Amino acid sequence: MALFLHYLSLPYLLEGIEVTLQVTALGLIGGLMMGVILASMQLSRFAVLAGFARGYSVIFRGTPLILQMVFVYDALPHIGIKLPAVLAAGVALAANEAPFISEILRAGVLGVDRGQVLAGQALGMTPGVLMSRVIAPQAIRTMIPAFGAEAVSALKNSSLASVIAVQELTLRSTQLASSTFDFFSIFFASGLIYLGLTGAIAVIQLVVEAWLDLDRASSQKRLMRLLPWHRFQPQDEPLEAAEDRFDDAGVAELPPPRPKLDLIDHARRAEMLRRNNVAVGVEGLRKRYDKHVVLDGVEMTVRIGEVVALLGPSGSGKSTLLRCINHIEGWEAGSIRVGGRRLGFGDAGKKLSPRELANERAEVGVGMVFQQFNLFGHLTAKENIAGPLRWVHGWSRSDADRRAFGLLERVGLSRRADALPRHLSGGQQQRVAIARAIAPNPSVLLLDEPTSALDPELVNEVLEVIRRLAIEDGLTMIISTHQLRFAEEVADRVVLLSGGTIVEEGPAREVLARPKTTVAQRFLSAMAEE
Amino acid sequence: MRKRSFIEAFMRRLAAAGPWGAVLGTIVIAGICAPAAARAAPSGCAALAEKYPDWKGKTLVNAVNPHTPGYEAIDPKDPSKYVGFDIDLGEEIGECLGFKVTYKAVTFAALLTTLASGQADIVISDIYATEERAKAADFITYSKVFDGVLVAKGNPKKIDGINMSMCGAAAAENTGFVEVPLVQELMPKCKQAGKPEPTLQLYDNNANCIQAILAGRADTYVNDVNTVDNAVKANPDQLEKAIAVTIPYSVGIAVPKDKPKFREAVMAALTEIYKSGDQLALLKKWELDPNNLKEPGLLTVK
Repeated sequence: MALFLHYLSLPYLLEGIEVTLQVTALGLIGGLMMGVILASMQLSRFAVLAGFARGYSVIFRGTPLILQMVFVYDALPHIGIKLPAVLAAGVALAANEAPFISEILRAGVLGVDRGQVLAGQALGMTPGVLMSRVIAPQAIRTMIPAFGAEAVSALKNSSLASVIAVQELTLRSTQLASSTFDFFSIFFASGLIYLGLTGAIAVIQLVVEAWLDLDRASSQKRLMRLLPWHRFQPQDEPLEAAEDRFDDAGVAELPPPRPKLDLIDHARRAEMLRRNNVAVGVEGLRKRYDKHVVLDGVEMTVRIGEVVALLGPSGSGKSTLLRCINHIEGWEAGSIRVGGRRLGFGDAGKKLSPRELANERAEVGVGMVFQQFNLFGHLTAKENIAGPLRWVHGWSRSDADRRAFGLLERVGLSRRADALPRHLSGGQQQRVAIARAIAPNPSVLLLDEPTSALDPELVNEVLEVIRRLAIEDGLTMIISTHQLRFAEEVADRVVLLSGGTIVEEGPAREVLARPKTTVAQRFLSAMAEE
Repeated sequence: MRKRSFIEAFMRRLAAAGPWGAVLGTIVIAGICAPAAARAAPSGCAALAEKYPDWKGKTLVNAVNPHTPGYEAIDPKDPSKYVGFDIDLGEEIGECLGFKVTYKAVTFAALLTTLASGQADIVISDIYATEERAKAADFITYSKVFDGVLVAKGNPKKIDGINMSMCGAAAAENTGFVEVPLVQELMPKCKQAGKPEPTLQLYDNNANCIQAILAGRADTYVNDVNTVDNAVKANPDQLEKAIAVTIPYSVGIAVPKDKPKFREAVMAALTEIYKSGDQLALLKKWELDPNNLKEPGLLTVK
């Protein structure tokens, strides 16, 4: 025991810790930098880069670290690269860590909900903004545990540097054991030192996790998590306090409507709309996934202020049409004009890069609301609205906040401004999503089955918000929906898609009451039965 | 010269420890100084330093496998230093030619690789000069080889060398040791005689080989007799030396094949040290068998 304590406090071994930490730090920092490069290469749209990164990973993940250490130390000098031992070990460790860290990064990035990425694109975020504001902040949270494990593994792997004369803890321990013959006291002491170091990494990991915890548990709870016997329990927060619930499914949360809905003169409105300019013009649009034709020559004109309901069975191409109008998806033939501007082609007529596409979306101003809400999970309701205004449209913080509060008030959620999406009901989330989509004052708002994912009792509050946007704001909207009654009430025109073509279109009341084609008749009667 | 500077450093350290340290230091040094004073730097060194000036003032890297107390191991009292016969010999060669020595600790099997890659300038680490190894480096031989057979106390398997007595036993050796092929050659012989073959366990350093016997994993470890003696000295209740055997090698200093001038200089310096009697004094200082003493020779192959 006395010997063990003697070796535990021996300066010679303690100095070895420093070398061990140097090698580990070089390995982790270098590995992180190379890992970021490898991950971006693998995620890039260029096949050559991805292939190169994959090849690197195969080689460096598939060969033992000890060989890589010896290679860097003993083989590189033959081609004139003679690194000092610690640096050689650090380089080898970094080269070995890089593929593992790259995979953690890639898993984190791919793990972020696709819908949120889509929503970011629809809001006109460039790939860079999307990465730094939406993907990275969420990915990093999920990657911390894996990074912690990787850091511990790198620290232990640094002991292999002992084979290339790096005077780290393990090499010092073995030399000391050889000269003193106190084999076990020394190895227990060095084992305990390693435990102390890896334990410190575990503590750092937990602190970072707690610090990044979006739910911001009380400080006491946060300390509790540091205890080894503490089990993580997901917090089951009530959506809201009892007094916040409304009997009429959230509609009462909304401020009172301005004009009375039933006073609208449909004939006069139709006449007025006919004289308006074209907001969206679709000509001969064709699109296919592999061999499956999704859109087969769609022609559609939507005038400013018009509300168009897209009806049709699932798979009829409704969502795809909306995504094309926002240019989230490309197409094979035909053209789409929004506000007179033809989408998707630069001045010279060549295809746009993802970054140019994003800028185009932001300039043209097409808002989009998704079936699954697709709110940014790490941002509060207010930030979901204000963030994109700042990042995409360059608003000041105060302007963006004012706009966000104003819109939240309009959708009846000003009291939930600081709530995270996961603490909101589906209806509330969709209302925030609508507010987010209209925040930059888009010229057209596309709504892709905005109530399909909602529980029946939450449908009304969302429909009410959309109804008011149509009537109070005169916003141009294209809504794909299965809500026939809503379509009849709000839409000026109904367009019925089937098998990628428009089978019938016309004033909402006419088409819904007296469909002409058999396809429309069959579809509408099937919908009415539901 | 070298001895004096070491003593000066030692004195400074003790002086820093306070008046009692200084007093103690004086007593200790009075004890050491008497034999040390008899051994001044070899007189021929001045001429050598003039003849081979290329290494004067340089610092050369000596690759060692510091797991062999007596030859090269860290100083248990001050682990920042390496001590032993080979260490002293290297320092004296350096002093003779005017260079300083730093150390690089590597596994035994990596000694010559480290030299070949240029990560070290010289290897003085109780390595036997064999024809096979001489393909990787030039050797200046300086010591005869006596191997000891380390076994568990009482020699339960009655092993007395790398011979038929080892059939069926487990032998611990270091990767790259010359004893390894000798045990391997024994395998078919045992088989022919209808006996079980010996098994070979390969480790990284002496300490691991010795531990293998202490843990009951291996029955024997055949290596340099002084290493074996030191192991027995450290664990007198569990280990013993069965026998010492002569094997037809010499211990050598390895130098790069592409530096014949350096080889020549080291050889000349070593010869001076041998002639002056310093080499014998060093053997005695480290309690090694004086029979190991050997006039410097050369082993090179194309």
